Amino acid sequence: MERRKFLGLGLTAAAVLPAVLNAKDFRAEKPDTWTAQKVDAAIEALYGKITPVEEGVTVQAPKVASNGGAVPVKIKSDIPAKTVAVFQDANPEATIAVFDLSEGGIIDYSIQIKMKASGTITAIVEGKDGKFYLGKQSLEVALGGCEG
Amino acid sequence: MANMKIKASARGGVVKCKVMMKHDMLTYDQAKAKGTEANFITHITAKAGGKVVLDMSTSQFLSKNPLIKFDFSEEGLKKGDKLEMTWTDLSGKTVTEDKEIKGLK
Repeated sequence: MERRKFLGLGLTAAAVLPAVLNAKDFRAEKPDTWTAQKVDAAIEALYGKITPVEEGVTVQAPKVASNGGAVPVKIKSDIPAKTVAVFQDANPEATIAVFDLSEGGIIDYSIQIKMKASGTITAIVEGKDGKFYLGKQSLEVALGGCEG
Repeated sequence: MANMKIKASARGGVVKCKVMMKHDMLTYDQAKAKGTEANFITHITAKAGGKVVLDMSTSQFLSKNPLIKFDFSEEGLKKGDKLEMTWTDLSGKTVTEDKEIKGLK
């Protein structure tokens, strides 16, 4: 087991390193996005001043989440896109995740997030046509998930 | 092999993936209450057949032991290709694991 692990690590490390370097790291590029406290401010820090169209993006979340520590969220869209960003307005900072789409990427993501209180999840899709699309879903959280 | 659980299977031209990462995902608030440093996954990358299929920058608000599901086109993949997942956390730790994609021809 030990030997197999070691070999596997060596192989994957060699193969993965260039990709990680090429990948867009939004944390390094847009540091303000991750410390912004309001959704609007976070969107502005990431994309600049934009007016997204509210269509074509589906955000699915339970209406009432019993456990705020792991709220399942699903983001779907058929728009050919460059990036997808997910925000919410219940936690101290607004940004949850930013996806950088590759060729052949399909926008159908399910993630689990923490919500401190009831709030709204906002997803922004940056289309290849340069337009921005928006999807929203409000939900109630019975038990906050940020207190630990 | 204890850091991730990876499931990937191809069906109808689309590869469906499910990945569970073992990570505490301590937010700044939680870390303060516990008196430790905050630590959470900041970047997740998935590769298949030499192509990047998922690339996400994440914040502290993913759940503990985050579970993500995503799809991508199976174009250009052949039998035996693997899905390679890599994550990096705030402390700089990087973990990579791979799993063969099922159902490819």
